[in-house]
Amino acid sequence: MKKMMAAVLTLVMLLTVCVPFAAADGVLNVYNWGEYIDKQVITNFEKEFGVRVNYSLFSSNEEMYTKLLSGASYDVLVPSDYMIERLLKENMLQPLDRSTVDNLGNLCEGVQNLSYDPDNTWSVPYLWQTVGIVYDTTKIDPEKIEEAGWDIFLDPEYAGHTYMYDSERDAFMVAFKALGYSCNTEDETEIQAAYEWLIKMDEAVKPSYVTDEVIDSMANGEKWMALVYSGDAAYILSENEDMGYCTPKQGTNIAVDAMVIPANASNPEMANQFIRYITEYDNAVMISEEVGYASANAEALAELSGEGGTYEGNAAYIPRAGYEQDEMFHDNETLKKTLSELWIKVKLHE
Amino acid sequence: MKKKRKTLWEHFTSCYLLLILLFIYLPILYVILFSFNESKSLSNFTGFSLKWYENMFQDRTMLQSIYYTVLVAVIATVVSTIVGTVAAIGLSKAKRVVRTLVLEVNNLPVMNPDIVTAIGLMLLFISMKVQLSLVTLILAHITFCIPYVILSVMPKLRQLDDNVAEAALDLGANPWQALTKVIIPQIYPAILSGALIAFSMSFDDFVISFFTAGVGINNISMYVYSMKRYNPSVNALSTLIMVVVTLILILVNVIPSVREKRNKKEEA
Amino acid sequence: MKSFFRMSYPYILWIAVFIVAPMFMILLYALTRTGNSTLTFQFTLDNFARFLREPTFLRVLWTSLRVALLTTVFCILIGYPAALFIAGLPERRQTMMVLLLTLPMWINMLLKTYAWRGILLNFDFASETKVFIGMVYDFLPYMIIQIHTSISKMNPDLKTAAYDLGANKWVTFKRVTLPLSIPGIISGITLVFLPAVSSFVIPKLLGGGDYVLIGNLIEIYFLTAGDWNFGSAISLIMALIIIASMWATKKLDRNAQEE
Repeated sequence: MKKMMAAVLTLVMLLTVCVPFAAADGVLNVYNWGEYIDKQVITNFEKEFGVRVNYSLFSSNEEMYTKLLSGASYDVLVPSDYMIERLLKENMLQPLDRSTVDNLGNLCEGVQNLSYDPDNTWSVPYLWQTVGIVYDTTKIDPEKIEEAGWDIFLDPEYAGHTYMYDSERDAFMVAFKALGYSCNTEDETEIQAAYEWLIKMDEAVKPSYVTDEVIDSMANGEKWMALVYSGDAAYILSENEDMGYCTPKQGTNIAVDAMVIPANASNPEMANQFIRYITEYDNAVMISEEVGYASANAEALAELSGEGGTYEGNAAYIPRAGYEQDEMFHDNETLKKTLSELWIKVKLHE
Repeated sequence: MKKKRKTLWEHFTSCYLLLILLFIYLPILYVILFSFNESKSLSNFTGFSLKWYENMFQDRTMLQSIYYTVLVAVIATVVSTIVGTVAAIGLSKAKRVVRTLVLEVNNLPVMNPDIVTAIGLMLLFISMKVQLSLVTLILAHITFCIPYVILSVMPKLRQLDDNVAEAALDLGANPWQALTKVIIPQIYPAILSGALIAFSMSFDDFVISFFTAGVGINNISMYVYSMKRYNPSVNALSTLIMVVVTLILILVNVIPSVREKRNKKEEA
Repeated sequence: MKSFFRMSYPYILWIAVFIVAPMFMILLYALTRTGNSTLTFQFTLDNFARFLREPTFLRVLWTSLRVALLTTVFCILIGYPAALFIAGLPERRQTMMVLLLTLPMWINMLLKTYAWRGILLNFDFASETKVFIGMVYDFLPYMIIQIHTSISKMNPDLKTAAYDLGANKWVTFKRVTLPLSIPGIISGITLVFLPAVSSFVIPKLLGGGDYVLIGNLIEIYFLTAGDWNFGSAISLIMALIIIASMWATKKLDRNAQEE
């Protein structure tokens, strides 16, 4: 037993002593979604600027936000649009240094002039997406799905062959759009109508409610159709030729993940350098190519979807832009609460 | 003793245990298999490849996550095993009311959903104006590990004959001697299993770690749960863990038996 | 024996700071209205009433308790013989078996659940069956280890004495082994039932999302909905119900021991 204790103590000492990270001049704390970057970009940045990038991961905007409440100090965050809106409302961000971050001229059409930050004072788009339907073209006629749009989720023909994304915001967005409402509506009758629409959906197609496992499942063709983010759809389409992608005509949600600098950042200067570095063409291409979500950089987007590009001919890679019915989410905690509660009821509906 | 032929009953028990092991290891084998998959798929094996291993060794965030996971798990296990065992022995001599109350509180982290423990601890650290760091992460892990140690050690203590410890004290042993020479040897298996469970708990925790770790600290679970899209490198990582642990186990088990044999030879 | 009790002082201090104080804050949230950072408290019981008034929530609670209970029962049924058989092995083999059972617990639970998802794709089970396979899988090692610890190193003289007194294997088991293993079963139940009530990753991944369990609900309110007050209230209701049911179990244990 003494030997064992000795062994354990040695292990602890070894672990504490051999801190495996070389010291660098400075540290930059980046907080981003998991698997949402090309690691080479970080390595290159570290070499060029002589800093160590301390990379932390989160899996939802809400998780990230809650963690920020603890007072943790990050230098760069990559939250989504509505979360940036909230962070701005609560004075948790600082403006970018636009003399450093100066190359925003090539932002692509879909991510210019965004309502939460029209002139990019606070944020620079990173990657963006829409929500659409991935479907098996051997089972569902593309014309039919283009015609029906979201209403395809009410077609009992696909009972047991459908995946619905398990997120109250996305599911209710589908219902709101199918009914011709705004996905940010606070009108009680409209919310009630959307709830009933979803109940009908639950009865009609008996969906499996899934989250990220939908990507692998659809790449394997386990079901006929699924509600998917366009960035994930691009991956599914590149893995499985039979799969098609439809952005419904009734309109959809556009989501942008953007880089911001928190007010309590300890290294804002380097944070601005990092943001500028990411917006450079080469790095934008690397990131979007690796992740599959659409780049915010117009040239990178054109390169990857153009001739010889990784996503050439991929129907899901470039999200629809400039379509009148498409909308972004706005930050609305009351609405979110209402929808989460109703969503539980939809899922538990028998 | 002569080697008897195995009875039917013994065959049955070995088969049963084998089936249990098969059940326990089936998904592990599956995880290992798909670490060699060529594509990202988790249900479709398309071909053999080592690229996820390559990928893993290039991923600094992932390698760091192994370091933090092991560091935190080892420290949390050592501290919680010691504190837990000592506390359990103390509690077993406490008044019944006190014991029941403390054990009920002890159960709280086991029973609460991780998110409640996590937010609770985060609020505690905020209110004490403590910046989240590696230290807060370790404190949080110790906190949810101790209950498992106590839950393991307590039942064994109840089986223990009180008189033995008292006899030791009567014979002039001081409490420390009574503890180390009499009580601990008897509950040793329970301490060991408590430590094992604590280690597993710490190793696998996500939610509590997420909300109590400082900036830039990720453990393996945080890495796995935050993946926006599945990266089979985590399978490669798990395979690596299995291999390392298996090697350690073999060493631990083989060395004593080899030494024993050598000792026997020397005796002969 | 007072000197021994003193040994638990550090731990009592520890739980006061790291368990009781945080739980007190959760309680405060459950008893107040709105606000993650307000300093003026408005006490209310609304959060509790809201939960108890809503049939959907009660159904979620019921499902969670049922899933946890069945998981625990399966774990005992499968785990008890396993623990017994392991205890019958030579000592070194016993340690080996315990380590073999623990080892898989060091592989991330999410990964193992994904693996089960992949494996079970090849079988046409009902989603409920899949959920139980996943749940029993995750918790079985705890049950086996706990029961095994309580019967290993059991004084072998007791068994021998029983045999000498003419008891057969079954009677020895019933009169000697089983009663001695009850504390182990109880702590096995604690280690399986308590976390099982609030677990939700496995049911979510293997049950096709039709399972909303109480742990899920609490997580939704804390994170997605950002309603810490209601989330806290739900977790306290759950804790109360579990504590009540554990008390019942312990009563049974005490009765069994007095027999």
